[in-house]
Order: sequence, then C-alpha cells, then structure tokens
Amino acid sequence: FLGAGGGNDIQWCFSQVKGAVDDDVAEADIISTVEFNHSGELLATGDKGGRVVIFQQEQENKTQSHSRGEYNVYSTFQSHEPEFDYLKSLEIEEKINKIRWLPQKNAAQFLLSTNDKTIKLWKISERDKRPEGYNLKEEDGRYRDPTTVTTLRVPVFRPMDLMVEASPRRIFANAHTYHINSISINSDYETYLSADDLRINLWHLEITDRSFNIVDIKPANMEELTEVITAAEFHPNSCSTFVYSSSKGTIRLCDMRASALCDRHSKLFEEPEDPSNRSFFSEIISSISDVKFSHSGRYMMTRDYLSVKIWDLNMENRPVETYQVHEYLRSKLCSLYENDCIFDKFECCWNGLDIVMTGSYNNFFRMFDRNTKRDVTLEASRENNKPRTVLKPRKVCASGKRKKDEISVDSLDFNKKILHTAWHPKENIIAVATTNNLYIFQDKMN
Amino acid sequence: MLGRGLKRKLSDYEENMAGLSSAFDSSRSLPYPLKRQLVLNMCLTKLQTYKMLVEPNLHRSVLIANTVRQIQEEMRQESNQQPVNICPGIAPSSHSYTGMESSGISLQLPSGVSQQESNCCDLRSVEDPIENSLLIVSDDDMSSAISSILKDLDFVEDISPPTCLVPTGDDQPKFPENTGLKLEDDRQDLKGAECVFGSFEISNSTSYLKDLAIDDIFEDIDTSMYDSDFCCPPLMPPRSPSLATEEPLKTFPSCNSSSASNIQICRTDLSELDHIMEILVGS
Repeated sequence: FLGAGGGNDIQWCFSQVKGAVDDDVAEADIISTVEFNHSGELLATGDKGGRVVIFQQEQENKTQSHSRGEYNVYSTFQSHEPEFDYLKSLEIEEKINKIRWLPQKNAAQFLLSTNDKTIKLWKISERDKRPEGYNLKEEDGRYRDPTTVTTLRVPVFRPMDLMVEASPRRIFANAHTYHINSISINSDYETYLSADDLRINLWHLEITDRSFNIVDIKPANMEELTEVITAAEFHPNSCSTFVYSSSKGTIRLCDMRASALCDRHSKLFEEPEDPSNRSFFSEIISSISDVKFSHSGRYMMTRDYLSVKIWDLNMENRPVETYQVHEYLRSKLCSLYENDCIFDKFECCWNGLDIVMTGSYNNFFRMFDRNTKRDVTLEASRENNKPRTVLKPRKVCASGKRKKDEISVDSLDFNKKILHTAWHPKENIIAVATTNNLYIFQDKMN
Repeated sequence: MLGRGLKRKLSDYEENMAGLSSAFDSSRSLPYPLKRQLVLNMCLTKLQTYKMLVEPNLHRSVLIANTVRQIQEEMRQESNQQPVNICPGIAPSSHSYTGMESSGISLQLPSGVSQQESNCCDLRSVEDPIENSLLIVSDDDMSSAISSILKDLDFVEDISPPTCLVPTGDDQPKFPENTGLKLEDDRQDLKGAECVFGSFEISNSTSYLKDLAIDDIFEDIDTSMYDSDFCCPPLMPPRSPSLATEEPLKTFPSCNSSSASNIQICRTDLSELDHIMEILVGS
C-alpha cells in the first residue's frame, strides 16, 4: 500500500480539522460539497443549511519550511434559503448540492453554487482600504454643517481591517423541474451547464433569463421512465464536448456542434455486466454517482456503488481500469438496500493524472495509484489529530479470522460516510468531508 | 448489525425486515424464489413509502421500479415455462385483487392462492419464520405499483412548453419558459378578477378568518340588508393555469334570491380567492 516505503509513495499527515467537535450533528451543518479553487488557495464547502464557508490558505511561513500554509476561514455567507413552491406545495431545500469556482480574472473571486432548483453566481471581494477625509461628512458618517467648512481637501484611502464581502451577482432560476445534481463550467469560461434528473441546460454566465436545453431524456409517458441523469461535466479542453452519466451505469459523450438538442450521443461508454456478479441489486449498484475528467481530458473516472472506473475516451466498450472500493460490501447488499445505504452517492476526484481518491463508510477514504497499482485505506478521525502525524493505513477484514488492527465488516459504522473529497490542484493537499467536519491532510514534507 | 450508533425505534416490521435482509445476505441455503420474494416485498414497500411523501426521490424510485420490473419479467418467464408454480409463485393476471392498502404495509393475499399454497408446503417447512413474513404479490400489483409511483412523479411536472421540437430550417434551441414570467401574467388576471369583487364589502375585508368556518361566524348576523343589493352578473372564474390545481371558483348563481345560504357560499369562495391572492402577492 501507499507509504510502504520509499520512492514516490505519499505519506499523508493530518493537518487540520474544521467543524464542531460534538457527536450530536446539527442537520444544517452536514457538509454537502467541497471544492478547491483553481489555484488551491481557497477551499469552499457548502452545507445542508444553505451556507458556504470559504477557507484561505495562509502564505507559507518561511520559518516553518516543513509545513504548508494552514487554511483559515476567509468568508461565510448564506447562499440559499429554503423556499416554498406554492404552486406545487413543495418545499425547496436550501442544501448546497455543488460549488464550482470560476478561474480568477481580476481581484475578486467568483463561484457558482446551486441547490435543487436555483444556481447563483457569487462574487467574493476584499476590502482593505477605505476613503477618509470627506469634506461634507464626519468620519462617523454624520453630515457636517456646511458653514463650518473652511478648507477643502482630497479624501485619501487609508488601510482598514480586511473585510471579505460576498454578493450574489446573478441568479439563474426557474429552469429545472427536477433536482439539480451537477453544474460544470465550460472551458470557454463564458458558459456552464446544469443537470437535473432528466434534463441538462446550457447557460451564459451573463444571462439569467434564458437557458438552452441541450439534453432531455424525459419520456412522453412517465411510466416508461427507466433511466435518469446522475452527473454531468464539460470536457476540460474542448468547449463543445460534455459527458453525462446515468442510473444504468452508462456515460454518454455529446458534442454540441452536432445538433442543438444533444439527445443522440456521440459516444456511449458502457461495460457489459459480469454474469458471475449478477444479483437483484446489480442495476442499483451500477448507477453512477459521479463523473470526473482527468486534467488532460484524455480519461474520465466514474464512481458507482462498489467501484471506481477509469475510461479512455477512445474506448467505449469497457473501462481501462477498475478499482474496488469496498468489495466486501457485495455480500451485504440486501441489508444495505434495506437501510437505504445502497443509494449513497459517493464522489471521486483526481490528483490530475496518477492518483484517484474516493470515500467509503466508517469515515474511511481510499486512494488508488494508477501507476503502481497500489491502494490505501485511510481514516478521517479526530483520534489522529496531532499535526504531522502520519496516517496509519486501515484494513477491513471481509471474512474469516480478523487480524489485529483490522476491522470486521459488521463493525463498520454506516452512518459515518465520506461522500465528498477534493484534491488541491497543484499540491498534495486533500480535503475530506465527514458528516459535519472537514479534514485537511497533506503529504509529509521531508 | 449495520448502522451501529444510530438510535432509532424499530417497529416490529422494521425489525423483521432487518432480520430478513441479514438472513438474505448471510444464508446460502435460502432458496432463490424466497430471496426474490423478499427483495420484491422490500421494493414494493419502499415504493409505497415514497408515494406517501410529498416529493418522492425520482432517482431512487426509478431504480426500485426497474428492480421490480426485472423480477416481474423473471417471474413471467417462469410462469410461461412452468404451468405449476414454484412457491411463492406469481398469480396469473386473472387473480386481481384490491391491491396494496395505502395505510398499512401488508399486502393482501389473492383469493385464489390455495393451489400455490399446497405447492409451497415443502418450502414452508424449511424456512418457516421467513416464509410467514412474505406474502404473495401478483403481476398486476407490481405493474400498478410501478405505474403509480412514476405517474406521481409526473405530477411534479413543470409548466414549461412541450418537449418536442418544432421542425424548422435549422435546429432551434429550446427555451424553457421563464415560469416567473408566467406567474406575472397570472397575477394580472387575478387582479382583474379582484376588481370585479371590489364592490363586495366582505371580500374587501382583510381580516377574514382563515381557520374558522365562515358559516359559523356569520350565523347570527342579520344579512337582510345585503339581500336586495345582491344583483350582480354571474362572475366567470379567471382561466389561469396557476389555479388549475385549486378548485376553480364557482360561477355564482344569479343572486336575486334572498336566501342567506347563497350569500354564505359566495363569501366562502371569495375568502378562498383572497387567500390565494395573499399567497401570490406575498403580503
């Protein structure tokens, strides 16, 4: 496993943990999305209460050369509020489903955040100066008596305590009947897509009152519905290409140049089922919960209930690699179906090209090195919370005699699930979200 | 035991199911038809639970419906191959019964199940506790369960235009209507309607009481002074889609009669309209 010794294997160390220490989790604090910005300096989380919290990495401390900057709270704001749809008598949850950052173009930062129905563009800007020395106003804002003004001066900017302001710049609403599961910004940095269970819409970042529908899989008769869209993403380099995954384990690649409505895919990625693994739950566990392109765009990764698959865009009939996340759960599928865990939507992420990461139960998360074919299971827990403590690899015992330090499948806590993880775009720093805590780990720097 | 650390009160049924699914997972000797029946029952139970929710989860509903379809297909093929059913087999479509009760989770046994029962006794003796918890479901039932949950999800449908593209010279992209705009139009309609009602004293009152029966309040009020003034043309209810789910306003009978009950009916309807208006205008 990773860290077994020497070479290029990464040794992961605890760095920080954010969030309440309580075991009693407040519903609103449940983390629902985690995302680094393009430079990695900012780390955003969204929660079930509709809030966004952004952490900023400190500038590296010259004296402590063996650790990278810490992440501290930079901005907190309420992105979405609960709403009530009177026409349908439905409550619209404020839970943030996804956050995606725009690349930085000027001093301000921009991100898109979405709940089930509405996407918002937020501008996060800093204010560290303010004008002082007005002629007609006192410093506290009260107006001066004009007759007391005997000289004129030019107001000057003076430094003030840093203030970070978040303001909503665009609200993209009323375009989704079903629940939004994905947003993805195009490589042209002007448009983005939003996907719900049955439709995908294309937006221009400047235009809020119109969107183009580019995929629609709703059948004329809902009783014929057998498949839903589960995730969608733009290609990182080709601005006319995007993919979307389905509940049947297929991925479709579409080219927007082919037609305005991309109902016919350009490519269909699907692996034939392994007959020896067939069960009543085969279809349910084949449902893809996340799809992510590699940085180059040559590969894409999908996550289904038990595995992570790497696909080469040039090969549609099977993935090039398959990694088992928690194969020991295959014999527990009925129980996991009964308690609904089988519907948990795990996400996955790349470090760029070589290593992929995804979460599991019992606050475990897994990493797979594509080059060495080695994998490791690590745990996010407050027990290892001394900085620079190297994380000890964990092992689950599927059956038979349990060795020391191993955990048996039946002892796993299925309420402690790691659904959201993120990898810094440039460095070996990872953010792992448990139910209501955010863990930051980094590699051991020698 | 899964879900360690989670405190929840298990009803008898849930305890049963947890035990059954553990048995499914761990037991190798459980006969296939029994396993299939267990899964089917779990699926139908889940679908039924979802139906009771205001907004069922579309993704899960589709996955479960597909699982039911898969089992249904399997059972159909088996019944085509074998005229005598293996327990607990399907009932042919002639065995239709009332279907699932909406309140309980239990499924009613079809009336003509005795033939299957006699075939079942061998298996029944093998896995008594499990068998006793499983009930037979007909093919019709499965289809109706799938249809009803998916139809319910259609109720969540939007007001956007139909999805078929109108063919044009070059492909036109579709714009889902901004439903915000549509609401605006509806409000105009309703405002127009309200003006018609402006002459009615009662409807202008902002202190109408929502929760109390209007009839009770006005029982002791002498309404004779209103009777002779009550000469208005019948009012047409505004035709707006936003009210489609609300009961349409009744066209009032010609109000020349002096009956107090007519006035009370009018008052109730006007109060409802006021109530709707308040919500839409957001006051």
